[in-house]
Amino acid sequence: MEADFTSQIREKARELLEKGTVECVIGYETGSDGVSARPSFIYNPSEVERLVFDNTCSHNLVKYLLDKKGKPTAIVVKGCDSRALNLLLSEKQLQRDQIFIIGVVCPGVVEWGWNRRSEQFQKRCDLCRQHTPLVYDLLIGTPVTEEPPPEFTDIAEMSARATEERASFWREQAERCLRCYACRQACPGCYCIDCFVEQLDPEWVGIRIATGENLMWNTIRAFHLAGRCIACNECERVCPVNLPLSLLNRKLEEEMLELFDYRAGMSEDATAPLITFIKEEKLGIGE
Amino acid sequence: MTKVLGKKELESWLNSIMQERILVAPKRVDDLVLFTPVHSVDEIAFDFQNTTLSPKELFFPRTETLFTIVHKDGEIEFTPVTVDRETVLFGIRPCDARGIAILDGPYLSDPPDSLWAQHRDKTTLIGLACAKPAPQCFCTSMGSSPTDTSNVDILLTEVDDGYAVEIVTEKGEKLLQGAELKESDVKPSVPQCDASVPAEGIVDAVKRAFEDPYWSRLADRCIHCNICAYVCPTCYCFDIRDYKAGGKIERIRTWESCQSKGFSRIAGGYDPRANKGSRLRQRFCHKLLYFPEQFGPLGCVGCGRCVTACPVNIDIREIISDIQERGAQVGQRSN
Ligand code: SF4
Ligand code: SF4
Ligand code: SF4
Ligand code: SF4
Ligand code: SF4
Repeated sequence: MEADFTSQIREKARELLEKGTVECVIGYETGSDGVSARPSFIYNPSEVERLVFDNTCSHNLVKYLLDKKGKPTAIVVKGCDSRALNLLLSEKQLQRDQIFIIGVVCPGVVEWGWNRRSEQFQKRCDLCRQHTPLVYDLLIGTPVTEEPPPEFTDIAEMSARATEERASFWREQAERCLRCYACRQACPGCYCIDCFVEQLDPEWVGIRIATGENLMWNTIRAFHLAGRCIACNECERVCPVNLPLSLLNRKLEEEMLELFDYRAGMSEDATAPLITFIKEEKLGIGE
Repeated sequence: MTKVLGKKELESWLNSIMQERILVAPKRVDDLVLFTPVHSVDEIAFDFQNTTLSPKELFFPRTETLFTIVHKDGEIEFTPVTVDRETVLFGIRPCDARGIAILDGPYLSDPPDSLWAQHRDKTTLIGLACAKPAPQCFCTSMGSSPTDTSNVDILLTEVDDGYAVEIVTEKGEKLLQGAELKESDVKPSVPQCDASVPAEGIVDAVKRAFEDPYWSRLADRCIHCNICAYVCPTCYCFDIRDYKAGGKIERIRTWESCQSKGFSRIAGGYDPRANKGSRLRQRFCHKLLYFPEQFGPLGCVGCGRCVTACPVNIDIREIISDIQERGAQVGQRSN
């Protein structure tokens, strides 16, 4: 199946580049370890043989489209990634007619790292409700009937802990954070020209790389993704010191579902709750 | 004859060090191995390839106060921070020790950075030779080796009945006073790195390839996080800010990296390295061109951390090979 997906992606990429439909095809190629995939940018039909698709293609490539604004570009997306596309389309960050979407019905991606590839599916893939992309111009693979797994089993244990226990857990995690901002850089929803964490006036968070500031950074980033995180889990994948960021994001996802019956990125003209004001709306605050 | 410290004797030696000094050693924290102050030998990880983060943090902490200012009765009191306690760093790998040593270039050249100098002065390095270099290691191509003694005070190499001990400096000799060394005729093995990188002549090749479109193609993939700089033993950039707290002003510095957006932005908002290609090129030009031109050695010691930690596999070894090739082509064209 991997070989088949790969050849279909190559074929389409060649066609799009030869015809001049797009300037660049963003997909995956084999990395320097010969074991895992990495993002690939193909500009020339003669380079399409570099493209691959396998179960280490976990990167969400949608973020790269923000660097390609105004340039017709093709992109390979999995189910989860297609939600990121919807998010950016609904937030008017991308122009649909500039993008050719090669959707792949996702067989799931495994836990891997440089020079290391396991057989174990990533946790988010076990919980995935969207293997078939929601938006595409070409679909590779046969759409599957989604059988939604039980919701939020991944955060149940953390949610059950006492507040103090959770607080000390996060203090410990935050102590390790380097403020490298890789989580933000990888996140399709983090595209602010000036991130709050780097603003100088007011300075919301000081520049110290220390527990207090780090906690502030990690929580505010999570809040800014409430109702916007599409659970591709890129932030957690890229974190060099393994902060379990999905625990924060998934908690907020759960809250958004409970409060607003809303999941991010399900359609390109969705109206996200936290950027919508409905006069009649009551949230039980101050009532 | 080789001096050997048995496993038990090593333990009691480390225990005695902990009494008087801070002992920092590799420790397992979940899936990571991090240099951490330890209070018992049980906490130390002996069996690791290399630590997740480099030991540069001991000399160049992620956040460090430089001085404080207090305004009192119309007077200004200026207090520079000093490093008082002696530290012993156990388990530093030869590549990382070289990394620290080459940073003496920028940090100790005139005017020297007082905190770096004090950290260096107060720290004794006990190196641990690599028995099994990892696939990403390429120290041998960058002027060091898995058993290099050049930049540590003592080098330990695991042998059957303990650790072979090489005393390199007086500082090391002093630290070993009281340790129960025995003489043995074991010969420690001399492992080599698998990966080799064509680093010879790279300075000129990078210079020739400066305008090569290669950089912007490579940077397509880069997400401009700060991971590569923060894991790297030889990245030494920082940001500075003053904070007011409880009636005093503190000047602090924290890690920064050329890959972040604010790094090169100047007054008025202009950014001379605004595009992705020139920003990423800075990383490799600094390591492979500017640093050697200014201080001598290449600014990479081949620890391989950025190779494994970069979330999109921007691999300095691949870049060195590519640039050699492309630099050669450009060279031919212009000759
Ligand atoms: S979350 Fe779903 S679509 Fe995304 S990689 Fe996993 S299985 Fe594929
Ligand atoms: S990727 Fe990890 S270490 Fe880096 S800023 Fe995010 S949480 Fe912190
Ligand atoms: S090279 Fe890799 S680690 Fe460095 S900034 Fe780019 S993406 Fe991040
Ligand atoms: S550039 Fe990479 S391999 Fe070289 S010293 Fe830095 S982290 Fe290690
Ligand atoms: S490579 Fe970048 S972060 Fe590292 S020392 Fe050079 S300029 Fe600083």
